[in-house]
Amino acid sequence: MKLKNFALAVALLLAWFLGIPGQAWPFGPTKPVEVVVHTGPGGGSDLFARAISEMIGKEKLVPQRLQVVNKSGGGSAVAMAYLAEKKGDTHTLGFFTGVWVTNPLTSKEASVTVKDLTPIARLVLEPAVVAVKADSPYKSMKDFVEAAKKNPGQLRQSGGSVTGRDNLTRLVIEKATGAKWVFVSFPGGGERIANLLGGHVQMMVMEPQEAGEHIKAGNLRVIASLTESRLPSFSNVPTIKEQGIDVPVIPQARGLLAPPGVSGDVVKYWEGVIGRFAKTPAWKKYLNDNQFEDGFLTGGSLNKFFDDLGLQMRDVLKEAGVKIVR
Amino acid sequence: MDAINNLVLGFSIALSAANLFWCFVGVFLGTIVGVLPGLGPPATIALLLPLTFKMDPTTAMIMMAGIYYGAKYGGSTTSILLNVPGESASVVTCLDGYQLARQGRAGPALGIAAIASFVAGSFGVLGLMFMAPPVARFALRFGPPEYFALMVVGLAMVVFLTGRSMVKGVLATLVGLWLAGVGTDVFTAQSRFTFGHMELLDGIDFIVVSIGLFAIGEVLINLESRTGAQIFKVPRGLRNLLPTLKDLKDSRFAFVNGSVVGFFIGVLPGAGSTIASFLSYGLEKAFSRNPEMFGAGVIEGVAAPEGANNSETGGALVPLLTLGIPGSATTAILLAALHLWGFRPGPLLIQENPNLFWGLVASMYVGNVMLLVLNLPLVPVFAQILKVPYFVLYPAIFGISIIGAYSISNSLFDVWMLGIFGLLGYFMRKLDYPAAPLVLGMVLGKRLELALRQSLMMSQGRLSILVGRPLSAAMLLFAVVLLFMPMLGRVRAWRTRAIEQELL
Amino acid sequence: MSFEHRGDQLSGIILSGFGILVISEATALPYVSEFGPGPGFLPLWIGIGITACSLAALVVSFFRAGKRSLDSSELSRIEIIRGVGSWAAFVVSIALLPLIGFGLSLGLLSVFLIIALDRRSPWVALGVALFLALGFHLVFNLALGVSLPVGPLGF
Repeated sequence: MKLKNFALAVALLLAWFLGIPGQAWPFGPTKPVEVVVHTGPGGGSDLFARAISEMIGKEKLVPQRLQVVNKSGGGSAVAMAYLAEKKGDTHTLGFFTGVWVTNPLTSKEASVTVKDLTPIARLVLEPAVVAVKADSPYKSMKDFVEAAKKNPGQLRQSGGSVTGRDNLTRLVIEKATGAKWVFVSFPGGGERIANLLGGHVQMMVMEPQEAGEHIKAGNLRVIASLTESRLPSFSNVPTIKEQGIDVPVIPQARGLLAPPGVSGDVVKYWEGVIGRFAKTPAWKKYLNDNQFEDGFLTGGSLNKFFDDLGLQMRDVLKEAGVKIVR
Repeated sequence: MDAINNLVLGFSIALSAANLFWCFVGVFLGTIVGVLPGLGPPATIALLLPLTFKMDPTTAMIMMAGIYYGAKYGGSTTSILLNVPGESASVVTCLDGYQLARQGRAGPALGIAAIASFVAGSFGVLGLMFMAPPVARFALRFGPPEYFALMVVGLAMVVFLTGRSMVKGVLATLVGLWLAGVGTDVFTAQSRFTFGHMELLDGIDFIVVSIGLFAIGEVLINLESRTGAQIFKVPRGLRNLLPTLKDLKDSRFAFVNGSVVGFFIGVLPGAGSTIASFLSYGLEKAFSRNPEMFGAGVIEGVAAPEGANNSETGGALVPLLTLGIPGSATTAILLAALHLWGFRPGPLLIQENPNLFWGLVASMYVGNVMLLVLNLPLVPVFAQILKVPYFVLYPAIFGISIIGAYSISNSLFDVWMLGIFGLLGYFMRKLDYPAAPLVLGMVLGKRLELALRQSLMMSQGRLSILVGRPLSAAMLLFAVVLLFMPMLGRVRAWRTRAIEQELL
Repeated sequence: MSFEHRGDQLSGIILSGFGILVISEATALPYVSEFGPGPGFLPLWIGIGITACSLAALVVSFFRAGKRSLDSSELSRIEIIRGVGSWAAFVVSIALLPLIGFGLSLGLLSVFLIIALDRRSPWVALGVALFLALGFHLVFNLALGVSLPVGPLGF
């Protein structure tokens, strides 16, 4: 009798667990998780992803290893296509940056957009500053803009791709102030700084940590920060808005997303992991060291962020005369 | 003197047991990475980064640097023995190195490559030690017009690579220039000649083209006839396995050439060791007493480029360590690694971290010595590869080439491109179109167009910017001189012939 | 001196055609951009250069061919068949890479080359194929961790 009751109890329990709709085992990774980046080894995203994987591993937030996989090519096209192919895969994540939003707009071959993928969380916003040579006559952004207005097309800015944040910033400032200056693309970060130091260009938009050492050595000067409020490490540098140039801040965001078709509780799981990660002291230290802004965002706000960013990019690029294909 | 004190400090750090050990690990790994196509220093260093978090940063840097310049030693091995460029900087070594192997002089070729690498590598270290800050400042004067002029000088070298038919050489160069344009245009984000293929958005990989043209093309030609296949004379006796005194004497200009050219090109961000090796080779041929022998197996044709790509590593570390500016993919990773280890690379790095800088510099001496000691005895060992019967060797070459192409980005597309360029290489050989100008055009093409358009952007379309600045004007003049040099030779030869035939 | 073989003339024609293709693609791209030359600028001139050079060389060679017979060192048919045939085998092995993996593809290629081209015994071919497949697997897959295309059997 007792045995029968016991068996019945077990059967009922099992039925409860398996039978009731919506009741499922909570998701947890059971094999190593791939983290896809769009740069090769040593690129910005690659190092960032490796650092974060290492930190998450140390904090033991995920029972499995996070493994960085490089899928470089065509900006972010190859990485995004790879993720799109892994529909429903719960053990693959992607590390996005602003390129993932702009690339499909300008490149016909980049057929996968951010809307096709599943956003998980935005982690950081990378601020930028405007730098000039230390011995340049421009002491503030206003000086530079005035000079550009007086001599249209004579001043030069070094930067990366024309769809990158540095050129887009230039375009919005030009539109707001009526000034005009030249943008010279250099594929390598080192060359951009070298040309600034060598006096071949007058100005550059760079990340604060890039500028830091050169400022300490007295070679460069920061004349504006492209943020909503002053940067902690550049507390005596006014923001661009403070200097009377009212332009939207074009963010360089980094975060995680998942392939299409991933179920809701998997998304919740990863959101939870990243949410806990974002609160750890190791992460806070990393943010501080690299002068990133904590840009933690998930869910509906994240979707809105992508939509807004996409629209902003589209407008700015179109005005710049870059061919929009999508 | 200050430098002596610093050197003493540096050596005291470099010669510690831990640093010696990890230096050896680095150069050993580097050699392997260089020998095998498909593995490159950037990927290797990135993979090993997590290991280094537990190490002392100076030690870690010593190891990473060891991988970096060690790879340049190893790259010549497969280039000389199998005509398979182990690394993009070793493509030029294939030209004369492989021909030397075919003549049974693989040993001397490998040996001179190691020796030249040592001499030039040491020069690079010396340069880094004594000339770093002023050279870095000089390099800052190189803006886009100067880069353009430099690329034109490089292109002028084509005249030294064409062999008998100038037209075919020019055509090959033009095709190479076109190949460089495939991909996404940097300035307008427009895709060019990609025909809808996403994999082509970043352009065609240079290594795939080189391996296809050189290695696959060569194998296909050899497979044409059974008898044609066994053409390697295997060297006998220890004397034939190492360079002779005459070889060393012939190469003495090449040692200087490679060292100086490599170092200065290395200092320029974005120039790279492939360009350095081409320029060095071209200059060697330009000022040689027997230029027509180049391409048929001339020892200094190996010494010059191999030296150049080694001193280039020393040069590339100059902007990294004096200004915090990375000049190439590998130095970019080293820069990131320095950040990760808590350093702040920039103009103050040397002053704030003398241990790091001088320890590194001293260990580079040590590393170069280690590499010489490691590589020279291996020369006879490697030369034995040629004893392998050709029907084993040729499939193996196919295999290595596939791996080399595939591991660039784990994509089969690259392997298909390898197949295409293999066929092209075959027909180019059959029809006597020289492959070197094509490769040169491809290497220079990207930079050339970039520099030209950047310059014109800077000058608002005025071409005068290219000749208006002293540095660029001087280099363009030099290029013109180079272009006319073979013509002087030909005019002289024509006159001699004409006089002999009593036409004049 | 340069364009003498019939093969040379063929290549000249192909190159001229290629040059025209390049020109047509290049003209579809913008010639000038916001500042300075656009993406179509250099490719256009390269295309013109290729077409002009190859046509010029062809014309000269036709003249020369009229004066004396084509160079006697013609291209041997058998050699070309062997050369292109080997290449075809190579391409087939590339096509097989995603299907049966690197080891087997290389093995098959070796077998083909040794039996068909070198006319050795099948045993030699098999031996070499095995040796190479195993060797590569050991060196690259296991020792170095370089990932190679794998087939359904995992190698």
